[in-house]
Amino acid sequence: MLKKIFTNLYILVFMGVVGVFTVMIWNLTFAHILEEFHHRKEVAAIDLEKTGKQTKDEKQSFEQVILESEKRVKHYLGYRVLEEQHIEGHFHHIGFDIGPDKRSYCSTCHGDMPHDSVKDIRAFLNMHAFFVACQTCHVRLEDEEKTNAFKWYDRKSGELVGSPVRDAMPGTYQAKIIPFVREEGKLVRIDSQEKIDFAGEYRKMEKQLTEGQKSRAKKMIHKIISKKPVMCEECHQKEKPLLPLAELGYPKERIDSITGTEVVGMIKNYTKFYMPKMLHPGEGKTQPAEQ
Amino acid sequence: MVFKSHIRPVWPAVVVSWILMCCLPYAALAADMGNCLLCHKYPGLSRIDKEGGMRLLYVNEEIFNKSVHAKVKCEGCHTDIKKIPHDPAKKVDCLTECHILEPSTEQKFSHKDVKTYLDQSVHSTIDKDGKEKKFPEDMPTCKDCHDNPLYRPLAFVKKVRAGVAEESLGRCRVCHKKEEFIFRFYNHITTRLHKSRSPLNIAQSCGRCHDDQELVARHNLSTRAMYSYGETFHGKAANLLDERVPDCLDCHVVKGKSVHQMYSNDDVRSSTHPTNRGQICNTVDCHPQASPKLGSYNVHAEFSLKQSPAEYYFTVFFIILTGGTLLPLMGIMFLDMLRRLFPNATITGRKK
Repeated sequence: MLKKIFTNLYILVFMGVVGVFTVMIWNLTFAHILEEFHHRKEVAAIDLEKTGKQTKDEKQSFEQVILESEKRVKHYLGYRVLEEQHIEGHFHHIGFDIGPDKRSYCSTCHGDMPHDSVKDIRAFLNMHAFFVACQTCHVRLEDEEKTNAFKWYDRKSGELVGSPVRDAMPGTYQAKIIPFVREEGKLVRIDSQEKIDFAGEYRKMEKQLTEGQKSRAKKMIHKIISKKPVMCEECHQKEKPLLPLAELGYPKERIDSITGTEVVGMIKNYTKFYMPKMLHPGEGKTQPAEQ
Repeated sequence: MVFKSHIRPVWPAVVVSWILMCCLPYAALAADMGNCLLCHKYPGLSRIDKEGGMRLLYVNEEIFNKSVHAKVKCEGCHTDIKKIPHDPAKKVDCLTECHILEPSTEQKFSHKDVKTYLDQSVHSTIDKDGKEKKFPEDMPTCKDCHDNPLYRPLAFVKKVRAGVAEESLGRCRVCHKKEEFIFRFYNHITTRLHKSRSPLNIAQSCGRCHDDQELVARHNLSTRAMYSYGETFHGKAANLLDERVPDCLDCHVVKGKSVHQMYSNDDVRSSTHPTNRGQICNTVDCHPQASPKLGSYNVHAEFSLKQSPAEYYFTVFFIILTGGTLLPLMGIMFLDMLRRLFPNATITGRKK
């Protein structure tokens, strides 16, 4: 009986190997002819299209613009291989990857670089969005909701983790800061599973919803968003910064740098801050806010 | 007295600053004199531009310090940035003069000569008669081929291998005392003693344009260059990271000239002009005994009926021969195994 099982197992493995070799031989032989045939058709189409045409076709597909513009590239330096994302026209090397924030239900719609409205500071805001969860700035917790509790969560798993600050270069963390709220006397993270599921369900069903249902769903998802987001100087100040930097694992020298004159002075040099209208649809153009 | 009372607190600060500067590692003495990395060290510093392109404003300091531009201050290239915070930076002009002095002439360093070479090359936007070529936007600018070039140091002590030879550095330190100078000089020289990029990286760089089927068609080019290079022995070895095989530049640039001096096949200055082609392969580093005829073989033959009919039919024959033999063999083996697995099975049912 055992012998039969092993024989059958051997046969199955051998059949698998034969299958793999069949695919390999196909790819190296006849698939090559098919590929050439398709390529020839592609060339013929391009030749036909370019006949008499003196200008470059400006039509660009999603694939050309979005997918092909960001490829991976490996630089073979001999003593090391530097693998990074290749961004067309980008001169400086990036050198490492930080994966997407899989926990954030905001970035599934708004992306990893959501700030665009305020020309002067959009890059700075996107920079902060790299290690600060959206709710940290866009949800102002008041009264009993205000807990002053903030923790780090892992971008990949979404789980709470220890402070990454001491082990990595500034801003290169695999974790983000998330605020905590008090619910029924307990401290819970603001991005509860319930909220994530609600937003996920909306994304899934978006095409089937009526316009009215869509508006209601959006309103529900965004209802915790404050009209006025947290401003730069609310964290970048020595007296009472919004984020408990020491509790979040920032060493004294980093706190001094973040709240020091170098950074605070630069913030003061920008005189006007604007709030994006995106969060308050129908309120007209982007409005200058208080300084 | 008043003068003295003002000067007294200043000089200790100067001395302390000088001592601190001397104690700093070489990286800290590098290009960031303007403290640009206060912001630009953050990888998230980014935005989407008007055209939908990603603008990543991050500079990886560790990698930048291992690049050929490590000694160039940020404002050496980003010349329009005079204050912090600054307005959106203008596009960098690679031909600008930076603060570095070219040691042989002691003139300010610039890449201006590259433009002179490029203007006369096949990649110029202007033709021989001074008229603008068709599709000038297809012609490469600096950043189409170059990102920030990184050092590729070599060690020669026991044998040629990648990386820095500590033994050599020990020799440098006998006379030269500044670690930053030794590091940079060693890397600068040894990087230039071999290819600045691996053959695979060079082929990929050229392939970004030369494998673009539409660009190839627009300019009536005869081949997808990287694809056809990848089909050759040289290309396959390059794909396995062999550094000894020729890449695009070895054949398309005349020895001793700049890579920017690349000419069309029908230009007599070109290394690939029919009269010069014979000298490509039989160089001392490649095939010194080879006949000049070796250079005239169709190196960019694609598996294409239109481009190379002889090679096409030859390849088709061998594909049919190989596939036609091996695939039925695999089929028979598979069926044989199937029979062993189900010895009594038939299509209509089990044998009686």
